[in-house]
Amino acid sequence: MVSTSPTLDDDVRVFVYRFMVDNRRPPMPVEIGSALGTGSAEVEAALKRLADAHVIVLAPGTPYIWLANPLSALPSPFPVTVGGRRYYGICIWDALGVIAMLGDEGSVTSLCPDCGDELTLRVREGRVEPSEYVVHYAIPAAHWWDDIGFN
Amino acid sequence: MLLFRSEEHRDNWLSARGLSHGATLSVAQQWDLARIWYRDRISPEWRRRTPEEAQAVFESLGLTGPFWKLPG
Repeated sequence: MVSTSPTLDDDVRVFVYRFMVDNRRPPMPVEIGSALGTGSAEVEAALKRLADAHVIVLAPGTPYIWLANPLSALPSPFPVTVGGRRYYGICIWDALGVIAMLGDEGSVTSLCPDCGDELTLRVREGRVEPSEYVVHYAIPAAHWWDDIGFN
Repeated sequence: MLLFRSEEHRDNWLSARGLSHGATLSVAQQWDLARIWYRDRISPEWRRRTPEEAQAVFESLGLTGPFWKLPG
């Protein structure tokens, strides 16, 4: 397992998640540095460590955040609505994860890849409906991180 | 991880692409997994699970066998 620098990395992680929830976009390293009183180079190093530890995912070749799972910085086919606000997950697991992380009430709308019909899952009082849809995993767990965008 | 209207739609989609079945979860199973996996992600106390802890989460939901085996 990749080691992280506990204090700075924890502070960066918590800031990133709270910022993304509040602003629905990822913070730039310079914004994180300003908020935490740290240089942006140190923040970029922390982001790299968090990515190496599979806590977040950076856009390839950049210090910019693509995923702070379950949140995606980019729109995806898995939009989530929580408290009237729109977020995105990169798959149905993460989309439901956004609802779980933000309080167990919300909805996810996706399209059936076969027929194209709109499918909406609603979570209310900790229960998800409707129950007849199914979730298919194509990639075995051992290979999820081979290409995290293709799962 | 894709959401399908039914197992029939899943099978249609896999067949049209010559893909084999991986693993299928009910919506309730997927919600349970999402809750356990992500409910505390925003907390300052959150820590990444060890592979053993992550494997135990899968097992607690009945997700066992080679498909769900994580790298050690």
